[in-house]
Amino acid sequence: MSASFTSLIYTYIGFPLLAIVVLNLIGKKHMEKFCAPIGCAVGVVQAVTSVITMLLLLQYNKAAVNFSQFWDMSVSTEAAYFSVDAISAIVLFCIGMVTAASFLTAAGMREEKMFNYTNVMLILVLGMSGIALVTDLFSLYVFLEITGIASFVLIALHRDIIGLEGSFKYLVMSAVASAFILAGLSFIYMETGSLRYDAVAEMLAGNTAAEPMLIWLAFLFLIAGFSIKSGIVPFHGWLPDAYQSAPAPVSVVLGGIVTKMAGVYAIIRIMSDFLLGTYSVINLAFMLLGLLSIVMGALAAIAQGDFKRILAYSSISQIGYIVLGASTGSMIGLIGAVLHFFNHATFKTTLFVNSAAVERQTGTTEIERLGGLQKQMPVTGVSSVLAFLSTAGIPPLAGFWSKLLIIIAAWQAGGPLIAGIALVASILTAAYFLRLQRKVFFGPVEEHLSTVKEARGGIAVSAVALSAVTVVVGLLFPVLLQILQAQGLL
Amino acid sequence: MNTLTMAMLVTAFLLIVTGLFMLVRTNNLIRIIIAVEIVMKAITLLLILAGYINGSELLPQAFIVTVIVIEVVVAVVAAGIAIRIYRHNGDLDIRKLNRLNG
Repeated sequence: MSASFTSLIYTYIGFPLLAIVVLNLIGKKHMEKFCAPIGCAVGVVQAVTSVITMLLLLQYNKAAVNFSQFWDMSVSTEAAYFSVDAISAIVLFCIGMVTAASFLTAAGMREEKMFNYTNVMLILVLGMSGIALVTDLFSLYVFLEITGIASFVLIALHRDIIGLEGSFKYLVMSAVASAFILAGLSFIYMETGSLRYDAVAEMLAGNTAAEPMLIWLAFLFLIAGFSIKSGIVPFHGWLPDAYQSAPAPVSVVLGGIVTKMAGVYAIIRIMSDFLLGTYSVINLAFMLLGLLSIVMGALAAIAQGDFKRILAYSSISQIGYIVLGASTGSMIGLIGAVLHFFNHATFKTTLFVNSAAVERQTGTTEIERLGGLQKQMPVTGVSSVLAFLSTAGIPPLAGFWSKLLIIIAAWQAGGPLIAGIALVASILTAAYFLRLQRKVFFGPVEEHLSTVKEARGGIAVSAVALSAVTVVVGLLFPVLLQILQAQGLL
Repeated sequence: MNTLTMAMLVTAFLLIVTGLFMLVRTNNLIRIIIAVEIVMKAITLLLILAGYINGSELLPQAFIVTVIVIEVVVAVVAAGIAIRIYRHNGDLDIRKLNRLNG
């Protein structure tokens, strides 16, 4: 059993690497037209592998599978190793799904730098998979930087001035965040002499810190660093610029998964591995940051005039929900956070794919210059309505269930006030999305748009597939909740 | 904590504050890159200190080499972007980077 598991885990890191090697050995001349299929294949393989991993974990009834390559991980407390558990498997599935959608969008947009885009995207996939697999804080930092550098290059891919500006802003904020994270790591290392999650968790649980001051300092830096990386209010300045300035297929992957992996996933890890219940002040800090993001992100989204920028502020607001769920310190909140992570990857990717379709067919993403596209672009219109209903938390769709779990957990942990604010902010979500839908898809057709046709090919395929995931997961959610209840997790 | 530890800790903090202050005050793209590098040097110092306090210098050495490599890559990408911006705008002033707002 362990042999099959090990070879499965290889595919997460090995398959992107193999694809990069093959692409560059054969060369740009011959491989340019195979780039999109290869990228899609990497994404689909990753998604399928993570489903198989999940099923194997369930079948053998194990919490996690550990795995190390060049050394025996039991040899010392400092040896690094990889591990896959249920949370990583879900997150790896999201990465695969969003990668496939991004490559389909790139094919549909006739991306002119397809070869460069594919190579850097594969490195990005490698980095994000690494973040999901590692079990010590320093390896986490290394993969964070791989992810970060790949996304700076991708944002500036076309070397236009807007892309360069967004990329530079992201780069500087991300470099400062990395410095803060490393400072936090070194303070933790001063206390424990190891950066492995289990060693840190043991030290925190046992309260064996010789100088508690250092631990507070470490968490101060870590909170600041991961909040910048995930774009929580008030650290969100770079995020809308980066999303808006990136080329369409890149903003699909940025909005769908990258900032969530780089920041939010690390926060979920810290909360679930170290802090479930202990150090309640840190939980409270994250809870307040989450609430602030939910409200401020939604309010700012109402005032925006660009399709992608509205989606970026909506991302900030939804990230707030994920952080709120993770910071409640209870199992139900954590499950809600992970499921909302999955749902957010689905519906936000759908919406960015839709914005790519609108950009490709009309040449603009400014909502004032758009209008009445529903008739001409039925697939885009319907899938964006579905995604928006899921974001706003309308019952049969997937977004409702995860938001429900998060709000219940927030009520249990922080009382009715916090849960109430989160609930009311849901209505704001509906407000900004209704404005977006009305300006872009509903109403009379603008004259200069009367010849616009539906985007075909990859863009339509990924929009339909992602909408199907939103609907099917939403309808299957009660079954999933029953499984979780049977496992004793709810 | 002995005097040496204290001195290194204070130096590292001063370097971090210097770097962040420079980052906020300057309007020049290259100076921003230098400021980020200064902060990273302070972090390297903190990692060395962590190894010294623990008495396990080997692992922090491996960390530091890795951090230096990553930091160089970040600096190269940043400088590349700065050069491109210079070709577009004709100077390195960040106040001219105002096309994205809202």
